[in-house]
Amino acid sequence: MKSPTKVIAIAAAFATVASLAACSTGGSDGKLELRVATFPPGADQAAYDAFAVQEEQFEKENPNIDIIGVEYEWKAPTFTAQLAAGSLPDVFTVPFTDAKTLLENGQLADVTKEVTDLGYADKFNPIILDAVKDADGNIFGFPRQAYALGLQYNRDLFEQAGLDPDSPPTTWEEVREYAKQIAEKTGKAGYATMTKGATGGWQLTAQSVTRGGVMQDGTTSTIDNDGTKATLQYFHDLRWEDNSMGDNFLLDWGGINQEFAAGNIGMYTSGSDLYTALVRDFSLDPAVYGLTTIPVEEGGNVLGGGDIAVIPPTVTDDVKAAAVKWIDWYYMQKLLTEDGAVRDAKALADADQAVGTPVLPVLDEETEAQRLKWIEPYVNVPREQMKGFFDGIVNQTPVGEPKLHTQEIYQILDNVVQAVLTDQNADIDALLAQANKDAQALIDG
Amino acid sequence: MTTTVRLPPRPSFRARRKLDESNEPEADRGILSVHDRRKRSVRNGQILSHIFLFGGLVIVGLGPLLWLAKSAVSTTQDTLTQPMALWPSGIDWANLSQAWFDVEVGKFFFNTVAIALGQWVISLLIAATAAYVMSVLRPSYARFMEAAVLATLFVPAVVLLVPLFVTVARPPIGPSLLNNYLGIWLPTAANAFNILIIKRFFDNLPFEVFEAARTDGAGPIRMFWSIALPMSKPILGVASVFIVIASLKDYLWPSLVLRGDVNLQPLGVRLPDIESQTELDVTLASLAISTLIPLVLFLIFQRVFLRGAGLGGAVKG
Amino acid sequence: MTVLEERPELQQRLRPRRVTPRKRDRSPITWVRRGGLTTLLLALPMILVFAAYSWWPILQAIWMSFQKTNLITYQFVGIDNFIAVLNDPVLGIAVVNTLYFAVLALIFGFPLPILMAVLMSEVRKLKGFYSALAYLPVIVPPVVAVLLWTVFYKASPTGVFNTILGWVGIPPQPWIQDATQAMPSLVLEATWAAAGGSIIIYLAALLAVPPELYDAAEVDGAGIWRKIWHVTLPQLRGVIFVMLILQVIATAQVFLEPYLFTSGGPNNSTVTVLLLIFRYAFEGSLGGKYGQATALSLMLAIFLALASFVYFKVTQKWSTN
Repeated sequence: MKSPTKVIAIAAAFATVASLAACSTGGSDGKLELRVATFPPGADQAAYDAFAVQEEQFEKENPNIDIIGVEYEWKAPTFTAQLAAGSLPDVFTVPFTDAKTLLENGQLADVTKEVTDLGYADKFNPIILDAVKDADGNIFGFPRQAYALGLQYNRDLFEQAGLDPDSPPTTWEEVREYAKQIAEKTGKAGYATMTKGATGGWQLTAQSVTRGGVMQDGTTSTIDNDGTKATLQYFHDLRWEDNSMGDNFLLDWGGINQEFAAGNIGMYTSGSDLYTALVRDFSLDPAVYGLTTIPVEEGGNVLGGGDIAVIPPTVTDDVKAAAVKWIDWYYMQKLLTEDGAVRDAKALADADQAVGTPVLPVLDEETEAQRLKWIEPYVNVPREQMKGFFDGIVNQTPVGEPKLHTQEIYQILDNVVQAVLTDQNADIDALLAQANKDAQALIDG
Repeated sequence: MTTTVRLPPRPSFRARRKLDESNEPEADRGILSVHDRRKRSVRNGQILSHIFLFGGLVIVGLGPLLWLAKSAVSTTQDTLTQPMALWPSGIDWANLSQAWFDVEVGKFFFNTVAIALGQWVISLLIAATAAYVMSVLRPSYARFMEAAVLATLFVPAVVLLVPLFVTVARPPIGPSLLNNYLGIWLPTAANAFNILIIKRFFDNLPFEVFEAARTDGAGPIRMFWSIALPMSKPILGVASVFIVIASLKDYLWPSLVLRGDVNLQPLGVRLPDIESQTELDVTLASLAISTLIPLVLFLIFQRVFLRGAGLGGAVKG
Repeated sequence: MTVLEERPELQQRLRPRRVTPRKRDRSPITWVRRGGLTTLLLALPMILVFAAYSWWPILQAIWMSFQKTNLITYQFVGIDNFIAVLNDPVLGIAVVNTLYFAVLALIFGFPLPILMAVLMSEVRKLKGFYSALAYLPVIVPPVVAVLLWTVFYKASPTGVFNTILGWVGIPPQPWIQDATQAMPSLVLEATWAAAGGSIIIYLAALLAVPPELYDAAEVDGAGIWRKIWHVTLPQLRGVIFVMLILQVIATAQVFLEPYLFTSGGPNNSTVTVLLLIFRYAFEGSLGGKYGQATALSLMLAIFLALASFVYFKVTQKWSTN
């Protein structure tokens, strides 16, 4: 019978071709393949163009290493799936809090020796370096970027609501007033906060800290502190009394950025380095972006964060050595040497990628001041729109996130935030008491 | 010496449709008798039924899809502020081209098709050969095969999720099948249901045909290829429908297996990932485009679909 | 003349149903010559695939549930995983939510397809058209359906459903933004997507009811309702029973809707058992809880197996009455 045979033969051939195409090819011509993380899904082509330039430069200086860029986003399911498969890139980045979990799980390579050999182990800000050390002081990654929490705001919505985009709010009461005005005049959410994917707990912590709240004291969970209570009460009031928080309360990091870029949110708290991602991945119009310091009350602090370049523990020594070279060249040199800084800034600026986003130094203050001087000619982010932040951050000393079972506790807190925002009669005290109990169980168990 | 087994000549397309209709399990009567249908109350009831069915099915069944088609070419503003209006700001054809080029719907569409085709070939191959061995050839170990296959029907997919992932990711022998279409095709082909429905069909085939072929010296493969398969076109059609539709609908497994290589992902996996980085109107356009494959397949192969879906019920009963 | 020549129809009964030789004829060479090797080759694809991707993972699941692992190293921990799962406060919530989903799905999604199938089986024209319409939502890929319905469920007054509600004067609803409405919203979408399949199955079953039974009932003077009660429903009983348990087993494993719509929120109101398993394996502890994930899946599987067993015993009793 001709026809079924033909059909099957064609389909089989098709399938074989597709599967062969899917099979990964091994390393070619003796070069060491190094798979490195690049950007999250949806990033601009221009970002990849800039990366290609830098890839070329590195490969010129290191002719026996072949760099392969891999799309990469820090998302727990993606990470665990890739970890299970052993298909993580050889170099990837991890936020500070997750780094602790990973190194406790034994899922990061120990790089103490490599860091000390490179000679700048003592240049790191010791508080930040602490986030990547285990109990014995071994180092498991290279902190590459740090940020402080800041208040992001939409200048365009400010104008539409009759507010001055150059004088953003400086206290939580002002934030509330501004939010109300935006909601009334434009119908958009004046204020929003993240609520799911462990980001709800993260932002709740960040906002509690500004009111003097402390989530963990050693090995005791102190979630039911006054600062957190006040923050939840604040959410309740803005949501149910002022109705200035819109009507979407299932927002993770991507979701809230998307709403903000689409002009649906007036203000929210997030990392100070968010500008890069907003423009590159969420198509934000740079002209509407505003950044100021997060309002801090008497006795309060600012939460800091950042991420770390790390290596999976399962790589061979060759790959590890190459990975450290890449980390040093791509992430570290631009912080330490004029050549590195200029090279990086130029490549980014040429491809219209953000240069000069507000960050906190991972190394010491003088090194950072130097770096800013070097990249000055290439800065292309609208720093005047971020004046509030630059002016205010000098008076704020960031504190670290809670250390124990952070992501899991954040997930518990997600539910608390969601409850307060979706249930008018949510009992804040009861919710916090239960969350504290659950968090303590995690810490003890 | 080879003998050809003569099967009756294949009827023409028209004739086949007529045959299909006459073979449909159409009762000449159901609850209502001829006498019933003459009654006024029954006739009114029929009109009501039609109204109910038509209204219900069109509004509820078709409605959301029509809305999707409309919104795929609407602007985001329109969809957000006046979702039920018809293009107050005009038709935004750019959505489609943005979906095609920026979101690269075309590439992921192609992946979806490639995965479905490969799945179809591999699943059918495994199910048909297994059913053939269990039903026609019946070696002494056929019983074990049957029992072992049947047992897997009672294991809910959830149990397999994690260990299957680990097996595919780090198999005891051979390379990792992650980021590889085989990592989807092979585990999905381990499906007892397909084997069972094909086996049932083989069980009902006239035995004499095989006997005759045997005495004429045909070997097992010959009998499979030249007799069993051609005679099982109906059930293979049904199984194909199940396999392809299941492949097009699969989300969790492909998303786990193809995590590491974006260029291999099918549309169903890609869209939720980039949903937050994509504007609403382009997202809707992408959704509309990705509904096209199953829709077109359905319209073309309607009869096979519906017969297969109904047959599934008969088997389960 | 032999019996067989007189009564050729008996030939059918005498014929053996196998084409391979009997045991006593076998030796390795005979085996190969008679096609035993070919048979094995034909059986091999299935055996290999099932062994690698079905039987082996089942065993692995059982083994893994007693391990603590980060997928790089494994450590035997006895029943610790099971205890940890049972002590998880979210487990209780997940079980209740899953039951809630299953019950709602039964209420919304069980009687309606039967009703529609009965109506469809009795109309004279447009049967094919209605069948196609009913089946349409079933072929829409679930990811598309969920993303589409997420847009429908937008809680602003200009969300799609809220606009429609506005036409009849009902105020805008929060839908998936509210812990009470979230689960019913998910069930609504799930029913939309799956009802068509059930309708077609019932339709096929209805059309297979022997017409003589209706004739006989009319001879006994039965009107339409009595015919439905005494003929249609009993005939459908088998299909209904099977569909019921199949639906319960399927809804017990619901994952996609909670995952894509609400990620289990708001406030864990849509966390199902499957979502919890997914969280153990792929979120939160970043790969540290695979053992607990498999432990929970095993517990769910055992529960479903027991439930099915009890169900079949009970319905067997009813069927034979």
